[in-house]
Amino acid sequence: MVEIQNVNSLGIPKDAFLSHVRRSLGRTEGLAPTPPYHRLAENLAVLEGQATEIRQRLEEKSGEVLDRFADTARLRSWNVFRTTSAEDAVGYVVELARNLSVTQAARSEQPVFARLPLDSALQAEGIECVTVAQDEASARDRVRSGIIESGLGITGADYAVAETGSVVVLPRKGLSRLVSLVPPVHLAMVRTEDLVESLDDVFLLRRLEYYRNGEEMGSYLNFITGPSRTADIEMKLVVGVHGPKEVHLVLLG
Amino acid sequence: MADVKTRDFIAASGAAMEDVNLRRALRQVGGGFNEARLDAIEEVSWEAWEEWREEARRIKIHTLDHLDHYLEMLYEQVTKAGGQVHFARDAEQANAIVSEIAQSRGVKIATKSKSMVSEELDLNRTLEAIGVDVYETDLGEYIIQLAEETPSHLVAPALHKTKEQVSELFHEKLGVPLTDDIEEMARVARETLRSKFLSADLGISGANFLVAETGSLVIITNEGNGRLCTSAPRIHIGITGMEKVIPSLQDLSIFLRLLPRSATGQRLTSYVSMVTGPRRSEDEDGPEEFHLVLVDNGRSRLLADPDLREALYCIRCGACLNICPVYGKIGGHAYGWVYPGPIGAIVSPTLVGLKEAKDLPHASSLCGACREVCPIKINIPRMLLHLRHRLAESPSDTENSSTLTERQAARGYTWLMSNPAALSAAGSVAKLVQKPFSSEGKIDKRVSLPLVSRWTAARDMPTLAGRSFRQIWADELESES
Repeated sequence: MVEIQNVNSLGIPKDAFLSHVRRSLGRTEGLAPTPPYHRLAENLAVLEGQATEIRQRLEEKSGEVLDRFADTARLRSWNVFRTTSAEDAVGYVVELARNLSVTQAARSEQPVFARLPLDSALQAEGIECVTVAQDEASARDRVRSGIIESGLGITGADYAVAETGSVVVLPRKGLSRLVSLVPPVHLAMVRTEDLVESLDDVFLLRRLEYYRNGEEMGSYLNFITGPSRTADIEMKLVVGVHGPKEVHLVLLG
Repeated sequence: MADVKTRDFIAASGAAMEDVNLRRALRQVGGGFNEARLDAIEEVSWEAWEEWREEARRIKIHTLDHLDHYLEMLYEQVTKAGGQVHFARDAEQANAIVSEIAQSRGVKIATKSKSMVSEELDLNRTLEAIGVDVYETDLGEYIIQLAEETPSHLVAPALHKTKEQVSELFHEKLGVPLTDDIEEMARVARETLRSKFLSADLGISGANFLVAETGSLVIITNEGNGRLCTSAPRIHIGITGMEKVIPSLQDLSIFLRLLPRSATGQRLTSYVSMVTGPRRSEDEDGPEEFHLVLVDNGRSRLLADPDLREALYCIRCGACLNICPVYGKIGGHAYGWVYPGPIGAIVSPTLVGLKEAKDLPHASSLCGACREVCPIKINIPRMLLHLRHRLAESPSDTENSSTLTERQAARGYTWLMSNPAALSAAGSVAKLVQKPFSSEGKIDKRVSLPLVSRWTAARDMPTLAGRSFRQIWADELESES
């Protein structure tokens, strides 16, 4: 990485800016809200309690939540394939790749793929699978161009949200930001344990992780809800502008 | 700062009404967005919708009342995540900050995802002046950048353009064949911009929300250009108004439910992306630097005025534009500055100066539809009236919206209406005077009436009836009752 010259705060100093805001509010001194904002007053134990409730709720009605997720995802233009068999899941991906006539696919490194012989199955079809799991920084450029040249991007899901039909991915080591974005077709492999019911669930679980990890959120989080869309010309819907025009979900479990 | 043309409102709105293409586009917006919005609300039920609106409003009230506290928290969290926060009092400072970052890092190419604040600053012009190639990447923004125009709607910036106009524009500027296929136009934009994304040094985005608790910037998009802008280049600058902050990550759910439904009737946009600092060392990709530029640029004036503070609750969904009978006739450009429509008629005059934009608070029938559709229940009509009141009572001649003659006439009218004998006498005189100028119950259009001529230029002025209501009342109705 290039040495970066540090630019300290430009513009006006923070304290001058904030004291102007304060004066505009008719105050001369900082004033924390009393009582404190209810959500920011929750400690780790409270969040853990709520997370336990979420998990219990999901366990009790996982079948129902799975159905709801599949239905909503279809309405948001995902192509949904449900199966309990790892073999069928791999078969779906291979058939999709074959139908798309891709010669190269890109895949993130996520736990869901540990038990799926996906790479070998694709290779058997003559499709190379670029994996985002490089320890060497020098390999990053190669992976990036590999993703750009791929006709299919394959990821897992960190969460799958029944309320919205969204897949949430948290780019990090092994998970490029570009795999679900740059190739024209994206496929997400979702497991039952990735499911949550609502946006509230996702944000609560993220907050819990944040406080557990010493206030580290990770650099990026993405909700993906169907294909890339625009209606900027005469309000006519077009799919696939800068992101994928076709998106698939394999629900495993 | 972006050029201010708010003084031309009357002429510009007149010209807009003559534009057939614009009228057709505006009818589509009115129909399309509003129906989609209603469908999306009915799906969740009006009761739930009302609860969401109430909660969102409570969050906004709380945050703005403690804005200094939450900005401090945001600053700490962004800094802790490895990002840098810069504060800009006005447009000039904000532009200088972005220029300084771009120049010190040797930036040659910048890609931008949609940001109304950058329109407010006229950031593209600033960056071009220091030799940076700037590319708008939202399809609508890209179209208006090529056309050298400004957005005419908060969420559909190029809605005033027909597909034929877009095709001709692409043909002229990009050398591609003419087509009437919108998908083909989107494909051209995708291909042209893909190489820019991958070679850009700098990605610039706005922000829909900033989360104080975690120091995160949230953008809500559909095309994927926002994800590319915040992921591919080595530097990301997020630039936004200081009012965008919300306290907790969990507050996001309510706004993610309200904003897309209110804007386009979508249950959720294709993408919601959350940026917290630059890439971590173990990440596969992402920018090496993250800068957040927080802009005041007149917002503290809204904050300081208890009558106008709620204008800062706006989440820029555009629902008030889509429902507004005035916007629906004249479109966005006539408003003369970045923020059009009912909310723009409050925000623009405060940001550019009330005396520059005296006509905007009057560009409303006060029907109240904007308030009804607003996901944050912002009382727009009340604030428009408040601004009208300020304009009418202003001791400064340059700010006062009425002429001395108008003010005197209003005083005379007040006197007349409180003196029944004088009113009756005036009526009899007026009936005689109007005779030579009237036909078929209307005053002849060629007659230029004092004070009301601008009104009568586009409408018929009815003549006074032969018998006044007071006479009819006295002769017939009173006895009946």
